[in-house]
Amino acid sequence: MIKITDLEKFYRTEEVETIALNKLSIEVKTGEFVAIMGPSGCGKSTLLNIIGLLDDPDGGSYIFNDTEVAHFNERKRADLRKHNIGFVFQSFNLIDELTVFENVELPLIYTGVAAADRVKRVEEVLDKMQIMHRRNHYPQQLSGGQQQRVAIARAVVNKPKLILADEPTGNLDSSNGNEVMELLTDLNEQGTTIVMVTHSEHDARYSHRIIRLLDGHTVMENIMI
Amino acid sequence: MLKNFITIAWRNLYKKKLFSFIHIIGLTIGITVCMMIFLYIMNEFSVDRFHKQGDNIYRVMRRFDVNKNMVPYLAGTYGPALLNDYPKEIKQAVRVCPTHGLVQTADKKSFNEKKLYVADADFFTLFTFPLIKGDPKTVLKQPNSVVISQATAKKYFGNDDPIGKVIEIDQLYQLKVTGVSKNVPSNSHLDFDLVMPISNFEHYDWFKVWVNNNLFVYVRIDNPATAAALEKQFPAFMQKYMGADMEKMGVKFDLHLRPLKEIYFEPSSEFDNVRHGDQSVVYIFLSIAILILVIACINFMNLSTIRAVERSKEVGMRKVMGALRNHLIWQFIGESVLLTLISCVLAIGLLLLAMPWYNQLLGYELTVSWNAAPIYLFLAGVILFVGFLAGSYPAFFLSAFSPIQALKGKLQLGKSGAFFRQALVVVQFCISVFLIVGTIVIYNQMSFVKSKDLGYDKEQSVVIPLNNNDIYNNMRAFKNDLMSKSGIQSVSYMSGEPGGFHDMHTYEAEGQRDVFKSRSEFADFEYVKTLGLKIVAGRDFSPQMATDTTDAVLINETAAKKLGFTPAEAVGKWIKNNMRDSTRRKIVGVVKDFNFISLKETMDALVISPSDDRRVAVIKLKPGNVSSGLAAIKEAYARVAPAYPLEYTFLDQKFDTLYKNDLRQQTILSVFSGLAIFIACLGLFGLASFTAAKRTKEIGVRKVLGSSVQNILLLLSKDMLKPVAVATIIAMPFAYFSMQKWLQNFAYRTPLHWWVFVLAAVITFAIALFTISFQSLKAAIANPVKSLRSE
Repeated sequence: MIKITDLEKFYRTEEVETIALNKLSIEVKTGEFVAIMGPSGCGKSTLLNIIGLLDDPDGGSYIFNDTEVAHFNERKRADLRKHNIGFVFQSFNLIDELTVFENVELPLIYTGVAAADRVKRVEEVLDKMQIMHRRNHYPQQLSGGQQQRVAIARAVVNKPKLILADEPTGNLDSSNGNEVMELLTDLNEQGTTIVMVTHSEHDARYSHRIIRLLDGHTVMENIMI
Repeated sequence: MLKNFITIAWRNLYKKKLFSFIHIIGLTIGITVCMMIFLYIMNEFSVDRFHKQGDNIYRVMRRFDVNKNMVPYLAGTYGPALLNDYPKEIKQAVRVCPTHGLVQTADKKSFNEKKLYVADADFFTLFTFPLIKGDPKTVLKQPNSVVISQATAKKYFGNDDPIGKVIEIDQLYQLKVTGVSKNVPSNSHLDFDLVMPISNFEHYDWFKVWVNNNLFVYVRIDNPATAAALEKQFPAFMQKYMGADMEKMGVKFDLHLRPLKEIYFEPSSEFDNVRHGDQSVVYIFLSIAILILVIACINFMNLSTIRAVERSKEVGMRKVMGALRNHLIWQFIGESVLLTLISCVLAIGLLLLAMPWYNQLLGYELTVSWNAAPIYLFLAGVILFVGFLAGSYPAFFLSAFSPIQALKGKLQLGKSGAFFRQALVVVQFCISVFLIVGTIVIYNQMSFVKSKDLGYDKEQSVVIPLNNNDIYNNMRAFKNDLMSKSGIQSVSYMSGEPGGFHDMHTYEAEGQRDVFKSRSEFADFEYVKTLGLKIVAGRDFSPQMATDTTDAVLINETAAKKLGFTPAEAVGKWIKNNMRDSTRRKIVGVVKDFNFISLKETMDALVISPSDDRRVAVIKLKPGNVSSGLAAIKEAYARVAPAYPLEYTFLDQKFDTLYKNDLRQQTILSVFSGLAIFIACLGLFGLASFTAAKRTKEIGVRKVLGSSVQNILLLLSKDMLKPVAVATIIAMPFAYFSMQKWLQNFAYRTPLHWWVFVLAAVITFAIALFTISFQSLKAAIANPVKSLRSE
């Protein structure tokens, strides 16, 4: 599904140029659950953003589903993103002014799903995430675990092929964190490819494979058995 | 999608109530002010547009002196002569004589009517003043007919049918009501309550004298080219009828045709007492409207940007979920239009509340209804223009960020953005400072005018118009009666009180080759004493000198100078009024110059002679006895003119009427500059809270490192005040030049003191600092632990 070769990314300020990704190459197959680990500043999040088409690389190739997407323009990237990729963030990134239902509904609006259909699909996914009873609450009224379940619901409501999770348990206590990891595992078992950035060895054990980064390139890959 | 946008827009408004309030109220005030001014301007430009034949009507104007404004008053003979001499060109000629009269109804109710018109029978066919009752062609045909306005009919007869009722005017004319007209709207230069036929006056001798000036002549000429050609023939016309008079007076009169639609805004002479507008006031209003709308828009833009920045997470998430840049642009513009819409609705409400006050400020009732179509067009324009303009900056600015930046909440308003926003604040405060300087200068000038020593004693002097036959025929008795009272110091009859009517006459004078033109006063012997004038050479008129009435005049210093004499030399020289006297008079004294005309005009020559023409009585009361003096006047007046209510003004009130327009400008300018500053400060308040919020972490760190509350206050305020300072510096020269120009309206003016500018700067700074300090103080005294944690 994802084939990245010699990927490069630099950050420039007026005086300093920082290399975030240095000729990095990785591959993720459809249906895999991959964890990306490494110390702070090793380029994990940059890699995830590029995979998610939120950022563009400065060099190298990125093939997504047999298409070279490294140099896609904004419109094409947005289009690819909204139909194929779901995001889960450490800080949930729910919109405070919208209710649980409305937050989850939002991606469907952008993909142009009809209103009646939207209600059905949102209710379905809220049910699955067991937060149906909270559908009319605002994010601030929920616990961290509940908020992350809403965020996951929002990420999967469009039935994406790929879910990108950026430290999904980072803001949660261990029992809520485990619950989230179980949810991701379930999704993976139903066929969704998952790429997750994490600091936690415990979380990483849920994955099939761990890619370890240091200073912008791969240092090790462990296959989990 | 739309529902989602509206939902989120509404919830955002609701969540940040104070901010939303500032955001909306600033724009609401801006729009309200604009609507007010829009209504006013529409009203001004609608004056006299309702006459169906308006394009073909002209008022005949007479010019006496090329350096002075033309005068609309002509003699009763002009109308018929014009019709007779130019039958092909002039289709209709209507004479209109605005006057006043005492009206008595059959049931003995009496009214002193100020708006009585005496006019030709064609009045209602030439002008479009619709009649509710009566036929325009015939209502004024009979000499004993009268047309009254709807309001007047109601006043006289209640709900009875007024047609056929008889009223008596000035105890002389029995007139039968033949028609009822709609009330005259405020956008008409002519303004009447009653119209009676001029045929009642045609037999009087004074009516047939060509040099008299007492009425307007309106003519209908169906082709503009004809009108231009006709003007060329007027010199011959004047020569034919006025040749002998002009030769005797040593002057030439010209006639001109003034199109009806230009009358309202024509430069009006003090002799023209129909309703006039002032185009400069219109432009001042218009500029204020634009300036205030600019301030309000800038506010709106700045606040929208700030508000949008706080929603970076939303922007980021929307982008992650596939929103394109133009989705976001439309979302933000849409919100901005929504806000504008809310402001417009509120503005209409505010306008309705402010309307009575506004009409009072303007001095008349606006004819344009607030819910007329042009207002809606205007509002639609505002919604689109302001909504789009103010919404587009934040929209484009925010949508340009990458989703990662947006999600991290790192929508740093970059350096160029900060510069732009500061520039906007500079513009706002430039306008505010400009308006403050304007207000101070106008206020200053008006108090200068008010307190200037005018050279005559205006305290405790009562002015009574001699405007009816009863008082006029019993002047002597009235005066004697008053003089026997203890509270009265002196009484003088004259043609015009200071600030009032001083006609221009031509004179021959000793040693002069050319005709000498001078303002003229006709007064009795108590004139100098009553007004407290100073004689600088010679003597005052004296009852002991039997020949003074026929042989003496007084002149003022300016007249002496214009004649080429010192005051002492002028005494004993002869002078002759070409227009009235057949013999020469001797200058017996020279009075010190006093401001008998408005301070807008330079001092003019004045000749005071004791010949006939009495229009007002000036009664000087003894100090401290105002109420008993007034009571004595009322009593004496009732004895000689019992049918008429006493009307009086105080001489020192003349100020208010003479400078009515300037005083109005002063009020309007101070109100609107206050509003401008208020709106600008709302914006500054918003910016200050934003800056304080943005620098929470910095403030926290500084406090941890030992900075005091004062240091932090200084730090925050300094930054915020910088644009205000720049604005003040930029605004000063503009304010200086425009106020210099305004002051040129006055012949007597205060200098533009430096302290006016300092004061304006201090006021602006004080208000700005006060606004900023609220938010700065809040940020400065916050617990640093809290502010650091929140980051």
